[in-house]
This record gives sequence, structure tokens and C-alpha cells, in this order.
Amino acid sequence: MAPHEAVGIVVVSHSRQLARAAIALAGEMLNGQPVVIEAAAGLDESTFGTDAVRIKEAIERANGSSGVVVLMDMGSAVLSTELALELMADPAARERVILSSAPIVEGLIVAAVAAAGGADRHEVAAEASSALMGKATHLGTTTADGPPVEQTGPAPSAVAEFTVLGDHGLHARPAARLVGEVRGLDASVQLVNLTTGAGPVPANSLSRVAILGALHGHRIEVRASGRQAQEAVEQVVALAARRFDEPDHPGRDDVAVAADTPAVRAVGDARQPMPATPGVVIAEVAGLLTADVDDDVPEDAPGDPDVQWRRVVAAVDDVRRGLEQLRERTRRETGSSEAAIFDAHLALLGDPDVLADVEAKVREGLSAARAWTTALAAVHTQWSQIPDPYLRERAADVAAVAQQVLRALNGAPAGDEWSTGVVVVDDITPADVAALDAAAVRALVLAHGSPSSHAAIIARARGIPMVVSAGSAVLDLPAGTAVALDGGTGELFVDPSPETIEELTVRAAALAERRTQQLAMAGQPAVSRDGVHIEVLANVGSAADTTTAASNGADGVGLVRTEFLFLDRVKPPEVVEQEQVYDAICAALPGRRTVFRTLDVGGDKPLSYLPAPAEQNPFLGRRGIRLSLDRPHLLQQQLTALCRTARRMAIDVMFPMVTSVDELLQARQMLDDAALAAGGTPQLRVGIMVEVPAAALKIESFLPHVDFVSIGTNDLTQYTLAAERGNPAVAALHDALDPGVLQLVHRVCQCAGSAVDVAVCGESASDEVAVPVLVGLGVRELSVSPEAVPAVKAIIRTLDLERCRAIAQTALTLRDAGEVRALVRRATTAGGATP
Amino acid sequence: MSENLSAAAMAQWVRQFATLIAQNREHLTELDAAIGDADHGANMDRGMSAVVKALDDAQPTAAGAVLTGVGMTLISTVGGASGPLFGTLFLRMGTALGDAGEVPSQELGTALRAGLEGVVARGKAELGDKTMVDALAPAADALDAALAEGLPLADAVARASEAAATGRDCTTPMLARKGRASYLGERSVGHQDPGATSVALLLEAASELGR
Repeated sequence: MAPHEAVGIVVVSHSRQLARAAIALAGEMLNGQPVVIEAAAGLDESTFGTDAVRIKEAIERANGSSGVVVLMDMGSAVLSTELALELMADPAARERVILSSAPIVEGLIVAAVAAAGGADRHEVAAEASSALMGKATHLGTTTADGPPVEQTGPAPSAVAEFTVLGDHGLHARPAARLVGEVRGLDASVQLVNLTTGAGPVPANSLSRVAILGALHGHRIEVRASGRQAQEAVEQVVALAARRFDEPDHPGRDDVAVAADTPAVRAVGDARQPMPATPGVVIAEVAGLLTADVDDDVPEDAPGDPDVQWRRVVAAVDDVRRGLEQLRERTRRETGSSEAAIFDAHLALLGDPDVLADVEAKVREGLSAARAWTTALAAVHTQWSQIPDPYLRERAADVAAVAQQVLRALNGAPAGDEWSTGVVVVDDITPADVAALDAAAVRALVLAHGSPSSHAAIIARARGIPMVVSAGSAVLDLPAGTAVALDGGTGELFVDPSPETIEELTVRAAALAERRTQQLAMAGQPAVSRDGVHIEVLANVGSAADTTTAASNGADGVGLVRTEFLFLDRVKPPEVVEQEQVYDAICAALPGRRTVFRTLDVGGDKPLSYLPAPAEQNPFLGRRGIRLSLDRPHLLQQQLTALCRTARRMAIDVMFPMVTSVDELLQARQMLDDAALAAGGTPQLRVGIMVEVPAAALKIESFLPHVDFVSIGTNDLTQYTLAAERGNPAVAALHDALDPGVLQLVHRVCQCAGSAVDVAVCGESASDEVAVPVLVGLGVRELSVSPEAVPAVKAIIRTLDLERCRAIAQTALTLRDAGEVRALVRRATTAGGATP
Repeated sequence: MSENLSAAAMAQWVRQFATLIAQNREHLTELDAAIGDADHGANMDRGMSAVVKALDDAQPTAAGAVLTGVGMTLISTVGGASGPLFGTLFLRMGTALGDAGEVPSQELGTALRAGLEGVVARGKAELGDKTMVDALAPAADALDAALAEGLPLADAVARASEAAATGRDCTTPMLARKGRASYLGERSVGHQDPGATSVALLLEAASELGR
């Protein structure tokens, strides 16, 4: 480097005026000292943009024998500058260019001063990178993953060297130990990594020590000044010789992450942890209580094909039974749309093509496990080659089912059990998430996985915070390692520093505070900003749900799914038993409306005591009121029980899956008969579920015979779009915000007017994007899962109904659900419907 | 397009692309307004108008040189991130075609692949990041596959165009991970990516000439 020529500086910006002003500002610091600062900014005086050719020319003008440092604003400035380097003909000149990630205004000022002072280009670039430190220190904010800051303290009065002995270098814990050692002393201590040249950094800062990148065998220089300089150096060297008092912990330090670095960017793994389920958790990595499952395909001798095939059938049956139980449990505890995920798994297990393929392979002489994995691998490959990324992700469902059956074939338990803490696994099946003990599992960290996977959907519904795509290095974290994570941002900290713990604790408290506020307000009516009252009711599937609904401030129960009384038993419940359960449900929310839906089952979930012929397509078959009218005995009993309850409680009765007025009239006649049998005409209101598009289209003919209607958006969406929710191939179509579905909701609301109440009891009622549209269309009652009541009420309080009406009208004219979602997001972020 | 790629054919392609960009200028700007800074249509139109003007002034005689010239014009006139990205695409395609006046049609696959690699290296985007790569990569794959099957160039380009259009449509549900759209996070979902839309127009231009 020629010592006397100052380093040149180039400013690349979208705006010519911005670059010019920044250069003028920097010029004030130079007192006339010669520093070449060139600008390549804007396409012309007034057009924002960057031009790679002009940047190249600017670099060439500024690039003297000492080289040049380039500062850029964002986006195309960076890309164009990289392209400009490529366009430079002289490789030697290119070598002398450093692109700096520093902010242009602050960076330019300190870089100019450094260049004027004779610093070489690396020093100038380093100065630029630390340009924000002054401001950050002044404001008391330090950036978690701030730039490598080089600091020069006072001249050291004591200097020594040590070699890093630990296998895994000066990682978070030993670094913390070192910082603690130094902080107690009256000395300013700096560290330099002599092996890499990194530093000097102040030894009393954990985040700075971390950026030394000190690995096993690196030589570190300790420099100290101040009263206790000598002691400081001696203590640090002694500590290093004791390997920073690290316990012998083989494997523990495999993840070389710095504390305070949003982390686990492990070596050779460019993955970034991604947010999947919100929630802040500070806990230890959980340990696996069950034996490690062997997912390998055993090299067993195939033997008799018949035996092998029977093994496949038995394993598939095992898994099917497990999944069916899980589906019911998920439906009960979490929600029916989450439960529908398992329908896809069950469908795959029952897929005759797949099973035929497996059988053929068994007959060819393969073992059960080998035949199963080979056949499923082919299905998996088909899915993973679909260009649509959403559908491609459903390949994970195939893999999940394949793995579960393989486990069954290997005689392994269906799921793992964990000690309390954060479960860290490579990937997880939806079934495993559904089966996790939510009380013990504080959070989930996946090395791989995706935020839009079914596993993530279930984790969200169960309220388990989750970070995905954290990279395989997390798998090496031993049980007991302290971790902190924010599932809402995707941040994951291993061995978090006290500062990080404090920050996340504050964040967790803020989240809890929000939830507490929502809960505190939950008992109040949900009133929009312009004064319209929206009833927020709960969907329940048990008496326990009703208790949750009451404590979460539900204005009533908008849907009792009475099926829970009828499933999983050998004979139907007696009238007396039903009456007691119905009473109990009403008692949980005394004085509030409770809407009982009569038994809603079909060929997809047959009752053992109500055998029905197999149907080609149960969703278009004899289900809901169709089945009830066909086999009237069950409905008679249920209506009798409901009428008895109605003598004491304010209840409503609602019939599911109604398609024709005749069905409704027949059911009403049965209700009248039941009322007589129960001894009088109780005051109960009668309504129908609008799930069949035809019912929405001819709603006028139903209205004279009902007191209310409740739109079941799940089924209405499925039938309107001819897309089954549980079928991953068409799941993307299944969105209640499709304008086709909204047109039907609109029609029902318009015809009902003020004479008949319109409620929505599908998943969309708790979808924050759908709520403004639904209330804008005229829906005045939303029935949601008990847990969602406080949040839905909070959403309504932010809405302006007048704006919602405008949004809803526009939504009706759009092309698809994607456009509607975009519209609502735009409107709500632009301060439209919400503040 | 004939089975040999001539400078004239390349120029025709580029001019057709310019026409489509001009026709879709407002549409592209609308798409960008949803998730970016509402300048993609105007920027691309400014760049492609300059390209057409440069071709009017002097059209190179080598197929590769036409594309290289387009690249150089774009990097100086587009302004936004599309400048270096589309500039790199054309520069790499032009370089891949070499100096010959005409090159065999097979080379178009090689050129598009080289362009794709340049764009990926420049923008550091991966498939699924909701960028122009999501249209460009499937187009390059489809073109390679069709040419390998021995399809005539016109049919191969038509397939590439379909693949680009599908790729473009697939950007709508994606979460943006690059560029200004990524600042929107979840809010970027539900919008078609403008860059991918322009790539689809580029392939559509080629496909129209093939018909």
C-alpha cells in the first residue's frame, strides 16, 4: 500500500440528492484534507435508482493505490455494486475494493475521517462498520448481532497470550466465564485473535468476545491497561489454562454459537430458524424418556409373502386406529379443521392403489418393511415434485404416515415421551404434535420442517410455541441445555446471556399482558369502534369446553356439537343421560343462549349402533339431518331430552346439513311432538345450519320457518368450492374467503335482514382476516373455539363497521380468496378498518 | 424463430418483450404497489424502451451481442433491483451464446440456464423466495427438458413459457424472503411477484414469436 494516498470512498444511493448531502456532511469533518469521495446515485437528478455502469466508473475514479471502500444504501444499490465489480476489467483494481455493509450517512462520516487520517482500507471499512456504536451506546441500545467492532483502548500496560484449549473454542459459556472474570477488575481489557486477526474487542462484553471467533487452538492476545492491568492479564491466562472451568461435557458444545446471537447458524448450515407458532419460552432442552426409535428398515428375511402382507395389514390397522383416536381427541380439544389433517393421513392409509402396490412388492418377495417403504417413497416422490410449494409440502404428510407404519412394523411405540422442557427434533409428524403432553412440552424446535406444515398448524392450535428450520446443529444440543426462543420471530438462543433472558422475559410478559388484557376485557361485550355490538359465542364439544368458554368471556354457546355424546360407545345415550349433560352445559353459562345442534354424523364416522351401508362419497351422502330423518328414533330421543332441558334453561335447537324446506318441516314436526311428550311447549328457538350451497341460494324459503340461521363456513366452503378440506391436493382451494363463498354469506345476510339472526360458526369466525369481511357482510354473531373468544372480541373492538362494509362489498367482486386476503390486509394496515 | 438463433431473431424477441412490458406497465406497477415500491412497471418500461432505442440506433450482428447489449442498457436505465438482476440475466445469456453470428437453437437452453445462474448468484434468492427465480428456474428446466426431447425450438419455448407462467402463479401464496417485499413478512402472501411476472412476459414474448 502506498502510504501517502488516502483511501477513496464511493457512495452508492438510490437518490442523487441523498448522496450529495451525505458527502457534504462528511466534508465538514475533513477540514480540507484530501479524500476522494465519489457518488454514483440516482438515474438522474430526480429519478431514484442505481446504475452499475456508473458505479463502476465511480469506483475506478476513486480507486487509487490505497484502494476504495464502497458504502451503499439498500436493495438494488447492493446488487448493482456487486455487478459493477464484475464489470471491472482489472482484477488487481477489483482486489482493492471493499464493499461495506455500514449505514451510508454514519458510515461515510467515520470512514472519511479515518481515510483522512491515513488508515488503510481495511481500517476504514472497520471504522465504517462500527459507525453505529456511538449512537447505540448513547441510546443504550446494543444490537444483538452487531457488526464486528474494533476498538482501540488506551496503550496496554500488560500484555500476554494464551491458546484456546477447549475442543469447541471460546463459545458462549467459557466466554461468559471470561467476561465475568474481567468485569470485577479495575482494568480495561482487550482481546485480539492473533490467529485470525479479529479484534481487538473489549473482554467485558460477551457479544464482542463472541465475535472473536476463537476456535480450538487459536492464539489470543490479552491486553490490559488501568490499575489492575497486570492482575487482569494473569487471571485471564490462568482461567484459559483451566479451560475456563468448563465441566467435562462431551458433545455439549457441538453447536458453536455465540450467546446473544440469534443463533444456531451452525457451521456449514445456512438455514435460518423460522417462526412457526408464537410464544416466548426460556427453558431447558427436554430429554427423551422413551428409547430412541429405530426408524431403519430392518434387513429381515422376507419369508412367506402371506405372513409379510399380514404384518403390513396389521401395522396399517394399528396406525389407523391410533390416528382415529387422535383425530377425535384433536377435534374435541383443538378443533375440527386441525382434526381434518388426520383425514388426509387416514385416506392415505386406506388408499387402495398404495396398498395394492405394497402387496405387489410383498408378493415379489420383499419384506413387509421394505415393501412399505419402497411403495411410500414413490408416493412421496410424486408429491415432492409438484411445482406448487403448498402442495409440495404435503409430501411431509406422506412421510409422516410412512414413518408411523414403519414404526409399527418395527414394533416401536407410536410416540415419544419427553421430560419437561423444549423438545428439539429433526422434524415431527402432526400425530406426534397432537399426542405431545402440552403441560410438559414448553416449546418445539425443529431442525427442519416448515411453518406451513400440518404439524405447525396443530402446534399453533395447541398453543405450543415452535421454531422450525433451525438447522441440524440443534440436534446435538444435549438435554438440559438452556435455550430461549421466540416462536413469533423465529429467534433461538442457545445458552442465552442474561441480557437476552431479560429481553425475552420482557417480551413474554408483554405477550402475557396482551392476553391478560384480552382476557380482562373478554367479559365485556364486543363493540366495534362505531358502536355495533357483535356477539362472540363459543363452539363446544363437551361440558368442560363450556367451562372454558365461560372463563374466556363467551357471550353464550353458539354451537354444541352433540356428537360427543354418541360416538365411541356401543349403544346410544338414554334420554335421561342426555338431559343431564345438556343441563350441565347450560349451567356453565347461566342466563346465556346455548344452541344445541342435533346429531351430525354420516358415513365417514359411522356409529356402531347405527349401521349404515358404505357410501362412495360420505360427504355427499346420508349425513346430518338426512340420517336423522331416515332413522328418526335417535332424533326423537334427542329432541325429547332437549325439550326437557328447555323447560329449565334458555336453549336453541339447530338442525345440521339442511338442504330442503321439507327436511326442516319434518324436523320441526318431530320437535313439536317431542315437546308434547316432554310435557308442554317450551320456549325454544329453532334454526338451521347453512352448509349446503343450495340452502344459502334459496334461503328465502327457509326464513319463515326459522328464528335464526348459523352458517357453517367449513362445510359451506367445502361444498361451494368442491374441495375437501382434508385432501391436501385441493386444500389450497379451501378458503372461506373465496368470493364465491362470500356471495352466499352475503345473500343469506341480505335476505335475513333484521328479522332473522345470522351467525357464523366455522373456523373463519376466528380468522382475523375473515372477521372484518363477515361482519361487513352483516353477520352479527360469531361462534368460535372457547380459547379464541378473547382474541376475537379484541379484533372486533378495533373494527369500524362502516369500513368493513366497504371492504366486504369490494371483496365480493374479487377473483379469489388470495385477493380478498390481500385486500383486507391492505385495508387493515392502511388504518382502514382497524386503527 | 428459426432453428438457428440469429441476431435478428434475438432482436425480435427483445422488441416483443419490450412491447409486452409496455402493455403490462400498469399491471406490473400495481403488483409492485402491493408488496414493493410501485416502480417495477415504470422501471422495466424505462429500461426496455431504452433497449429498443439502442437497437434502433445500432443492432449488433451477433446473436450473443444483442443480448449483452440489452443487459448493459438495462443495468444503466432500470434503476431498481430489476436493473442488475435483469441486466445480469441478459449479460449472462449473451455471454453464453458467444461471438458467433448465429448459434444452434440448442444454445438457447444453455443461455437461459447461464442467465438463471447469474440471477441466483446476484440476488442470492432460492426457489420459493417469491422472486423472479420462481418463474425463471422452471422455465429453464422446461426448456432444457423440451430441447433434450428433441422438440422444435418453437415448441420448446412454448413449454418454457407455460412453465414460467405456472411459476409466476405459484409466487402468489409465497412469503417473500428477498427484496423490499420481504419487509412486509406475512403481508406479502397473496400477491403475485412482479419480477416473476416480468420473467413470464419474457418467455411469453419468445413463445409468441415461435408461433
